[in-house]
Amino acid sequence: MLSVDINSVSILEEEKRRTMLKDIKFDVEEGKVYTILGKNGSGKSTLIKSLTSLLPKGEYETLGKVLFRETELLNCSEETLKEIRKHNIRYVFQDAANSFDPLKKIKYYFDLSNISPLKIEELLLYFLLPSYKKLSGLHSYELSGGMAQRFLIVFALLANPDLLILDEPTSGVDYAVMNLILLKIKNFVRDNDKSVLIVTQDINFALKSSDRIAYLSDGNLTRFYKSDELLNSQDDKVKNFINSFKEISNASA
Amino acid sequence: MPLLKVENISYSVEVKEETKKQFDILKNVSFEVETGEIIGIAGESGGGKSTLAKVIAGLIKPDTGKITLSSDAKRKKSSPIQILFQNHGEVLNPFRRISNVVDEVLVINKIDKQYIENQRESILSSVGFPKELYNRRGFQLSGGEQQRATLARLLATNPVLLILDEPFSAQDVESQLNLVKLFKKLNKEFQLTMICISHDLNILRNLAKRIIILKDGEVVESGVTNEVFNNPKKDYTKFLLSAEALNLTYEELQASSNQ
Repeated sequence: MLSVDINSVSILEEEKRRTMLKDIKFDVEEGKVYTILGKNGSGKSTLIKSLTSLLPKGEYETLGKVLFRETELLNCSEETLKEIRKHNIRYVFQDAANSFDPLKKIKYYFDLSNISPLKIEELLLYFLLPSYKKLSGLHSYELSGGMAQRFLIVFALLANPDLLILDEPTSGVDYAVMNLILLKIKNFVRDNDKSVLIVTQDINFALKSSDRIAYLSDGNLTRFYKSDELLNSQDDKVKNFINSFKEISNASA
Repeated sequence: MPLLKVENISYSVEVKEETKKQFDILKNVSFEVETGEIIGIAGESGGGKSTLAKVIAGLIKPDTGKITLSSDAKRKKSSPIQILFQNHGEVLNPFRRISNVVDEVLVINKIDKQYIENQRESILSSVGFPKELYNRRGFQLSGGEQQRATLARLLATNPVLLILDEPFSAQDVESQLNLVKLFKKLNKEFQLTMICISHDLNILRNLAKRIIILKDGEVVESGVTNEVFNNPKKDYTKFLLSAEALNLTYEELQASSNQ
């Protein structure tokens, strides 16, 4: 579905350029959940933004190719990109509460989606959110962080995209909501033959949710491992990360 | 005599002024903390964990109940109970140098240049704060560095009990592990008693010998961490454990949200 072959993503500073990502190569197939694991500041968010040319042109330079079906995303018109981001590749960014226009009520977003209230209600119910009627009258700042996160996922799912990209979906949400998101991602991929790409530092969520996991550090991406293979990876950086996780999980006071 | 005795603490707030409707944040909470132990408090958001911390530290006066600190734990010039708040970045003055932030507390005890320099050095190095950053200002530090600087300032008051409020949130697993090791070290080196509030059961299993599970302001279950987690008696504890393992079914989630 998506074929990524990015040579480099660089930040353009006054006289020099700083390379943030190098040789990012992977393919996304239908019917699978992919996760890119990485620590804070490893470039995860930059990576997903680079896929659909979301990085500001004057400040970043992305060299390479990203093929979505027949369309090359790094070198196509803004109109085509907008259509693809609207219908085919949907993002849910990390800072959920700030993704809304604070002056608009939630009704505005329901109307934008062009989908019948009945169908929206079904998803709201699934995510244990308040009813269509109740949410419609609220402003985004009246939602808690966890609610905003869930609502954004609902909003992205309503577009029925081919690829759903989630940036740190578990940060700031409690375990119950994490479980909900996990279940929904799995159903979404299984029932519709869609794909999900997650970037996160939450290794526990990655192992539970994903078919394939890669590790990003210092601008380099490892290959995508099967989840159980990741735990036995011989790559030193992956091993260090995994070992911290094992050490924290297995010890007792 | 335990270091701290929390007896029948209740605390509620008025939700609506007109109706005088009350919302109970803490309901009849009791437990004891022994000298030198690390005790964990777990539960979901909104369960009253942070409020309980503030009540223990004396920042909030409870409606009913009693907090007793053993008499040899009292301090003359500063509070013997300190909290490392969740929003540590906002607690640290962004415009002041870290050395200054720590010295300010040390001066309360003794005005002696050599003493202050030695203490500053030993405290900052004990929390793993690098020497080359002593003269940085708060805003020039990363989140993790700010947290360590804030912790150093708290330690400078020579507290008897340190309350950690969600110290691990928003950190990757390597930083979490380093922090767990640091808290264990401080606990051992300074015989510092700690209460650690966290929704992360995995980390509490590693850090805290005893655990208290809080739900809607009430103590649901408490005991030795390993025993509680390996053999939970209450449904809510079981729910938390399978939620953390991401093993909940949709039916279980629905049931919990309808309660």
